Amino acid sequence: MRIAIAVRGLAALGWTLCVAGFASAQLPGIAVERGLAADLGLGIGDTVRFGTAPDSLRRLAVVSAIYQPRPDPAEISKRQRHVRMHLPDLAAALGAPDRVDRFGVGLRPGLAAESAAAVLRSNAFGYQVHSTRAIASESSQTFLVISRFHRAIAIITIVAGAVFLLCIMLLKVEERRLDAAVMRFIGVRRRTMFGALLLEAALVAVVGSVVGTGMALMAGAATNAYYRRFFDTALTFSHITPRIVIFSVALSLGLGLVAGSLAAWRLVRTRPMVLWGRQ
Amino acid sequence: MTPPLLQAADLRKDYPMNGETVHALRGVSLRIDPGEYVAIVGPSGSGKSTLLQLLGGIDTPSGGTVELQGTRLDALSDGDLTRLRLTRFGFVFQRFHLLPVLTARENVELPMAEAGMPRGERRARARELLAYVGLEGRTDYRITQLSGGEMQRVAIARALANRPAVLLADEPTGELDMTTGRQILHLFRRLHADGATLVVVTHDERLAAEAGRVVHMLDGAILDRCS
Amino acid sequence: MTGIGWGVRSLGRHPLRTALSLAGIAVAAAMLLDMVMLSGGLEKSFGDLLLARGYQIRLTPRGTLPFDTEATLDGASRVVAALRRDPAIEAAGAVLGTALYGRSADSLVGLFGYGVDPTAQGLYQVTSGADLTPGDTAGVLLAGPVARLLGVGPGDSVTLIGRLDPQVAMAAVGRRFVVRGVVHWLYDHRGQLSVGAVLPVMQRLARADAADRASLVVIKARDDGAVGSLAARLRREFPELEVSSVADLVAHFKLRLVYFRQLSYILGSMSLIVAVLLIATLLTITVHERLGEIVTLRAIGVSRGTVIRQVLAEGAALTGAGGAIGIGLGLLTARYLDAILTGFPGLPAAFSFFVPRAGTLGTAAAVLFLTGSLAGLYPAWLAARSPIAETLRAEAT
Repeated sequence: MRIAIAVRGLAALGWTLCVAGFASAQLPGIAVERGLAADLGLGIGDTVRFGTAPDSLRRLAVVSAIYQPRPDPAEISKRQRHVRMHLPDLAAALGAPDRVDRFGVGLRPGLAAESAAAVLRSNAFGYQVHSTRAIASESSQTFLVISRFHRAIAIITIVAGAVFLLCIMLLKVEERRLDAAVMRFIGVRRRTMFGALLLEAALVAVVGSVVGTGMALMAGAATNAYYRRFFDTALTFSHITPRIVIFSVALSLGLGLVAGSLAAWRLVRTRPMVLWGRQ
Repeated sequence: MTPPLLQAADLRKDYPMNGETVHALRGVSLRIDPGEYVAIVGPSGSGKSTLLQLLGGIDTPSGGTVELQGTRLDALSDGDLTRLRLTRFGFVFQRFHLLPVLTARENVELPMAEAGMPRGERRARARELLAYVGLEGRTDYRITQLSGGEMQRVAIARALANRPAVLLADEPTGELDMTTGRQILHLFRRLHADGATLVVVTHDERLAAEAGRVVHMLDGAILDRCS
Repeated sequence: MTGIGWGVRSLGRHPLRTALSLAGIAVAAAMLLDMVMLSGGLEKSFGDLLLARGYQIRLTPRGTLPFDTEATLDGASRVVAALRRDPAIEAAGAVLGTALYGRSADSLVGLFGYGVDPTAQGLYQVTSGADLTPGDTAGVLLAGPVARLLGVGPGDSVTLIGRLDPQVAMAAVGRRFVVRGVVHWLYDHRGQLSVGAVLPVMQRLARADAADRASLVVIKARDDGAVGSLAARLRREFPELEVSSVADLVAHFKLRLVYFRQLSYILGSMSLIVAVLLIATLLTITVHERLGEIVTLRAIGVSRGTVIRQVLAEGAALTGAGGAIGIGLGLLTARYLDAILTGFPGLPAAFSFFVPRAGTLGTAAAVLFLTGSLAGLYPAWLAARSPIAETLRAEAT
């Protein structure tokens, strides 16, 4: 059971309770996450009040640690603050000294988690048993959805880019129809012209890929910098791997070559007199 | 003496080409009277087309003046000059320069539409002009469906759309074969007989022979002058 | 104005080129449309969901949002009674959410239980059977998936178990109920197994009756226009509670899903840029190709203004036609993308990320049309400013 703990820094209340060393040794310790400590201006040794309701902050604790929470993507949008206490202290505060939400079970090496879970499930009436892998899989559903969404956007963007590319290649190649006609008139073979145009398309695709990769790296760095600051987290939001780069470059090269081939083929298959505009 | 329709005085035209200055016209003076048929002949590069463009207000001279019925073209704004070309001049080009997306009739209507003529009126006049040039059966054909000679006749009809004071033609038979060129020749003869003022730049001796006056040009100057 | 429309008709000269350009503009327009729908859709959908039953304010434990945590507030009856005495409040009711079990043959099924006040609830709509009555301690409402899973319908009996006692391996708190009706729970995610009973019954099942606990209180104000001031007043009257109007909840929600809003702005802007670039490039190249024709028209007296208008009309026609295709494409892709995003676990099934709204769609279409049309400005300027004689000379060589 998670409860809402209202923690008020004494500075925020406007008055401090200075607890002597002897007294603070008897108060429970509380570990405060870095963001909360910064918000409330807390430091190690400060005494805080806490309770289970805003109007019942009767218990005292001493800040014994300030920790940086492990970046959890599932938590960043919620902007919740956390504290940690020893289990007996929290249970006492909740008035349920023998109550917990869950147990964590570590198995001896060599034991399979799923089979152990099955045994526990059949024996422990009233309990639900999950392997860590199953929980991780379940809790990552949100990010799977986001991944699928990003993939869908990427597909749409690629389609748009491919259409745009084909259109531009057609335009650029047709601009040179007169030159192409003259080439044909003086005996240059279709194969030669096609090859030249394809080479040009490949070069443009390579240069475009390099520039695009550079832009992606910069955009990724900017995205990480922005969202890390926005959410106050160390999470990585954009991660460009060599595999992604290779895939993207291969795709853009492929699209560029296909677009160039189509445009070049259209040009070389047209009769020179038609290109010249006389027929 | 009747006042001239078109008068050029000491026309000069220079333009840069490949880092050098080309003197296309070197002080050309010419007078065109109403109803005249003037042919301008000369070898390539003699300045014939440049002279025609200056006479028609398409280009601006480096020096000298052009007057149309007493109006100096260099005194006009770009808008007024454009308007003048629309209503007082008719142009026929060597390569026709018709709009292939329009029909023959629509190409002829285009200048009339620009001049603000109502649709019904300009349609009727376009049909009339196409009939005049012998294309009454081709009115709604697209330009791409017409032969070279037919296209040039459409271009001539277009040039006549707004009843110009003078028709300027630059190598009107340059892209045509002998037979088709003869058709244009007959058309020009007919136009002149009907009172049109024609100034034609040409290499075609037959066209030149039809003219009432031939102006010979060489190296940017007129070899024989008419006062 | 010539009335001939040679600019627009020039698009027919190169059908393949025009078709590809239209395809490119359509895809860009579709993306723009989708991003516009996404940017405002989240709030609209969520706001509509919250107001589905007309309850504009929610009270929850301080520092929490409705059903965001397991926190509960004590003395729910006292709070509701105080609210009902307020002349500005038309209706108020407490809701408890809790986990419980249902018995299916010889196994237990995990369920989510709603404890409600049938006279003041904003959570469900009856789809078959009847609603609960205020004192009905024997009746229960089932979600469709629960009814199908347990194989029961209105009039049948079900056993609900609030707690299990591991020591004796049996139910610690369990009771038999009669199904009054099958309902659609407005905030349930797809397939969620929910049941509902009157609040006191659910409190007993959840062992929350001693402290009279509830998860939230829903409030319907008499005057829609006074919701803000009512919320402010309730915050003063109930300082130990979190008072959230629909606007407050939407703001929280926007913050949580800020990524999608920002993504929609970025992708929408990029789509617009792509469309503009495509149109500008196409028109620039086609004007360049037709420069001879265009300067001839200038030579025969067609004004610069007409040339500019014709080229702009060409751009406008491309944008208009591409945009029209893009609308249809955008609606299709929006459904596809919405189907992906609504797969978020725990998201209410009624929620939608892509919501078409006439106002914003109209604005997006207008922006696309305007910018696409203006994309023709540069090529139009090129066409109108080309020197006639020089161009004719170049054409002749």
